[in-house]
Amino acid sequence: MPGKQPKKTFYNRIRLLSLTSAFILILAVPFLNRYCHFSFIQGWYQSLSIGHLWFVSPLEGLESILTSRKLYGPLLVGMIGPVLLALLLGRVFCSWICPISFLSEIMDRLIRLLTGKKFRKPGIAMPRRMLWFALMGEVMLAMVIGAPVFVFLSPPGLVGREIMMATLFHTLAIEGVIVIIVLLLHLFSRRLFCRHLCPLGALIAVLGMARRLKIRKDKEACIDCGLCKRACPLSLDPAKDESLSAYCWNCGECVDACKPKALGYTWSSSRPKG
Amino acid sequence: MAAGTAAAGVCLLSDKAAALVSSPVKTNILRPPGAVPEEIFPAKCIRCGRCVEVCPYESIVPPDIRKGIYAGTPLIDVKKIPCYLCMKCVQVCPTGTLTRISQQETRMGLAVIDKHSCVTWNEELALCRTCYNVCPFKEKAIKLDQLRPVVIEEFCTGCGLCTHGCPVNRKDGNKAINIEPIYAFKPVRW
Repeated sequence: MPGKQPKKTFYNRIRLLSLTSAFILILAVPFLNRYCHFSFIQGWYQSLSIGHLWFVSPLEGLESILTSRKLYGPLLVGMIGPVLLALLLGRVFCSWICPISFLSEIMDRLIRLLTGKKFRKPGIAMPRRMLWFALMGEVMLAMVIGAPVFVFLSPPGLVGREIMMATLFHTLAIEGVIVIIVLLLHLFSRRLFCRHLCPLGALIAVLGMARRLKIRKDKEACIDCGLCKRACPLSLDPAKDESLSAYCWNCGECVDACKPKALGYTWSSSRPKG
Repeated sequence: MAAGTAAAGVCLLSDKAAALVSSPVKTNILRPPGAVPEEIFPAKCIRCGRCVEVCPYESIVPPDIRKGIYAGTPLIDVKKIPCYLCMKCVQVCPTGTLTRISQQETRMGLAVIDKHSCVTWNEELALCRTCYNVCPFKEKAIKLDQLRPVVIEEFCTGCGLCTHGCPVNRKDGNKAINIEPIYAFKPVRW
């Protein structure tokens, strides 16, 4: 419950550490594969293998099943881990692992260093529902053209692919501009792609609707200062219990920003209503 | 005049659009071992690049977005680097796009000898037997018929070692022995 963190920016530091190590992993793995013939760990966040433990990104797997109309055991088993993570913890992949998140965080920190402002304005505000339409539109498009679209145009996957292309073939694929576009959008309006357009984020959000880990507000301690709303990268308002909605990705920015320590991670053992 | 230009433009555009959804697999440009038919390949493959990463010879190369919906799928250009049939890629595919098969079962394509270009078939005294020598299934997939190479369809895996080794360079860029991906376009069994 709130009031336990000794340092001011507690979760942010752990999260940056997690994002950095996740990024270093996909940076180092192609290099090790190519030059040291070390193939114990392989791949990036579309499909990652650690020894015989395989993970497959849920949206990529779902699209592959939908467009090919075929089930394949190892693919389904590979999706179990990420799906369980999403069911229990919500969109934590987005905020704690995703390489796009890492790059955006680094940009945020640079901007903070340059401008001295602690929080950026959210910029363009669009209806949050757009996230669901992005997922539906993307799956429909994949079904229509008969190929999983997200898999070769997904920004998190592209970061991994470009690193691999650079390491193995000393070249880059053109579609890497999508990563640059997403980062430019972020410069323009905070986490615009993650907030409104990422189909993978939307799928994880759907799975995490009844997640166990949520950020809850202590009604007595909250003084309605609005700091949490300004801190939230998705421009949610935890003071209005929006952190309980499907959109929240449990990054903990608001927990760290909260001066009266009214916000905190809570684990609900029974499935909450709604 | 303007209408003609516009029509030509539309034709060009539709050609470009068709190129984005037509398979890049052709003579000497093949899929890795165990690949499902081309009809279903772009749907099944999630472009995770693990076959590319695991290939120790860098035979497998993923094309970029200029190949349209086939962007990121694994391709082997056997003229550049052939497949040495180490079978590592089929073991790492998480989607079953590369099915788990053995070396002997591999059918990436079929080697076809162009008897008009092959020096051994053309000249009486030429004794080039490169394709025969490099074939991993020597005496099974390629045999010598009166010192001239002959491909046995039943055993050819289509690995492309013969194409890679062939010293003849035809004007169209191909060799005197080429791999035709005849198995890639068979219909899918549901």
